[in-house]
Amino acid sequence: MSDHSPQALEQLMRVIAHDLKAVKPSPRPFRLALQTAPIALLISSVVLVSLGVRGDSGILGPLLTWGASAAQFALAIMLIWIAAHEGTPAGRLPRGTVYSALAATFLVVVGITVSTFSISPVGSTLRFAGAMRIPLWVMDLVCGVGSTVAGGILVFLFSRLFRNSLAIRPAVAGALYGAGAGTAINAGWRIACPYSTLRHSLGAHGAAIIATVILGALIGRFLGSRRSRGPAGIHR
Amino acid sequence: MIRYQAGSLEAFQEIYTELAPGVRRYLSYLAGGSQRSDDLLQETFLQMHRSRAAYNPVYAVKPWVFGLARNVFLMNRRSARRWAEVHESREQLPEFPILPDADSLGSRDELRRSIARLSPEQAEALLLHHEWGFSFEEIAGMLGISAAAARARASRGMADLRAALNGFQRARA
Repeated sequence: MSDHSPQALEQLMRVIAHDLKAVKPSPRPFRLALQTAPIALLISSVVLVSLGVRGDSGILGPLLTWGASAAQFALAIMLIWIAAHEGTPAGRLPRGTVYSALAATFLVVVGITVSTFSISPVGSTLRFAGAMRIPLWVMDLVCGVGSTVAGGILVFLFSRLFRNSLAIRPAVAGALYGAGAGTAINAGWRIACPYSTLRHSLGAHGAAIIATVILGALIGRFLGSRRSRGPAGIHR
Repeated sequence: MIRYQAGSLEAFQEIYTELAPGVRRYLSYLAGGSQRSDDLLQETFLQMHRSRAAYNPVYAVKPWVFGLARNVFLMNRRSARRWAEVHESREQLPEFPILPDADSLGSRDELRRSIARLSPEQAEALLLHHEWGFSFEEIAGMLGISAAAARARASRGMADLRAALNGFQRARA
């Protein structure tokens, strides 16, 4: 067959013949990204359905309330699409594209946060906090931890979809779908959360996105190292 | 590959027969001619087997398997720093078939030494295109760069290779 040692080749064939069950081909990166959209939409809608739309949505208008979240959600799906490309040995995207998409997502999230704050500053925050007698730090914690948990669930679900990923940089691929999960959750959460202060938005919601990015990177790294070790094989 | 995904051992053997020699040479190049290329080849095909579900028929099989081989090599190296060291320290390059464009310019040994002097990025793009016959789009997908960057690397590599071989010619004269 080749100049590969016959013994090694025989061993390889034995292992392969031993486990040759039919498998279903992975979907294309775009389709894989689209498959994640309903799950992401469902989980990011949970808090919205539970708390309802923020009180200042009339001040913000439909574009900044729903349109901005739709844009964030689309960016999240794009990040997942890039992660799927990153996991395909012959289909990687240029590094510039990957970093530009991450930078664009960061800028859009910060831009939406600042725009929201500039149109509806602390008013609704104070009204809500005053009426409920809830200290602001508690709301920071609720939103930060809540969206991290929701994002974490999404990252775990994505890691299941990405179990066949063959990324050269598995931590980067994981960070990308982690960023997608965090951004998707934030897209829903921001419509429900009445707090628009920069401290709360960037500190609690931003930190939750960063936490899901880190979680995704760790999961990606774990899956990558598990793949490189593989099951009890014939080598080493 | 589709038949292999459906569970055909013969299909795997066909893929192996077709691709293993080229993949082995590529791994030998990546590993700086080290004897580990046989282990890496075996690991590449094992990885391909374990991950056969990850293949989508829209991709050509050859760049997918070569990309996987590169992946296996890099995962083994664990860090980009060590990857650079391999290329920087390579003195014992594996035997390459003479590139068609450089055939008339120098001996096999001169060609080998000239390729060793190229930057790792240029040498890899040059060999993937001229030796293994990948298109610049396929190289771009394997290396995570744009097709224009792949073309530029291969083209600059070829220019530097010609210059190095001309240098050998002048020295001989």
